[in-house]
Amino acid sequence: MSSAASSTAASGSIEDLVARQFGPQAAAYVTSAVHASGADLEALGALLAGHGTARLLDLGCGGGHVSFTAAPHVSEVVAYDLSDAMLAAVSGEAARRGFTNITTAQGVAEALPFEDAAFDFVVSRYSAHHWRDLAAGLRHARRVLKPGGRAVFMDVTAPENPLLDTFLQTVEMLRDPSHVRDYRPSEWVRRAEEAGFLVEGVTDRRLRLEFESWVKRIATPPVHAAAIRSLQDGASDEVREHFALEADGTFTLDTLTLVLVPA
Amino acid sequence: MTQPYRPGYEVDPKFLELLVCPLTKGPLVYDSARQELISRAARLAFPIRDGIPIMLADEARRLEDAELNS
Repeated sequence: MSSAASSTAASGSIEDLVARQFGPQAAAYVTSAVHASGADLEALGALLAGHGTARLLDLGCGGGHVSFTAAPHVSEVVAYDLSDAMLAAVSGEAARRGFTNITTAQGVAEALPFEDAAFDFVVSRYSAHHWRDLAAGLRHARRVLKPGGRAVFMDVTAPENPLLDTFLQTVEMLRDPSHVRDYRPSEWVRRAEEAGFLVEGVTDRRLRLEFESWVKRIATPPVHAAAIRSLQDGASDEVREHFALEADGTFTLDTLTLVLVPA
Repeated sequence: MTQPYRPGYEVDPKFLELLVCPLTKGPLVYDSARQELISRAARLAFPIRDGIPIMLADEARRLEDAELNS
């Protein structure tokens, strides 16, 4: 079975698609340097320091890098994801690193199986762009957060400019058909407020993505990778400049860290 | 499809107390022998596989009337 065949086979829900996309790639996300490090994780570690009795939910944990960042600081971490392969990889890596305070559960962001006010922190990194319903996911995050707790959402964002936004979503969809949407910062803030949060902090960052590892990590079919390169080659100056397109397809996009408290 | 009971994968009872039915937000009853979390209100049994609660309605076992009445 070629990766092209498996990645272009059409059937099932968006959740099926996400699970199918990420299942075989779980190990790549545990070891990915783009995911395992970053100024956003360092800032998260600083935010969590001194909260030794806290319980934290890693919502859409993927390769588990929020969990591994949080585990030394807090009492309990629940790593939650749609993909059983990701959760197995996270369990294995937690054991390898000697973390005994990480537990795992499988499910969707839009129907969290946790009690109201169960967590002191809800943290989600590079996950929300896969959700079928961001508003529902945010409402659930708000529900399971304790009064006085904090939610931290980190994700790739789309530029507010529609031309740049459409370019980004198109490239994302070609790379990974389980992509739903990179939201604009203004959309994040509006939806967070609608879900019952107050925005305590917003941090914009830029993230450079090396092309070959970026498509390899999720096993993008060659025909899709070629289409991305073709779109890049034909891109306007405005697109080229914003995404800092490089000769080999490497580019740079925007990310956001939103720190939220219950309204 | 239920995994055989494996003592090494016993789930921490403190963790189970956090879990509710993802559909009804109602309580779950832990069946340690079958390694299932029972939501009577949703008539579903959510499996625990290798110590991981699978809180997906699609993966849950539909409860029979007899089980609900027991």
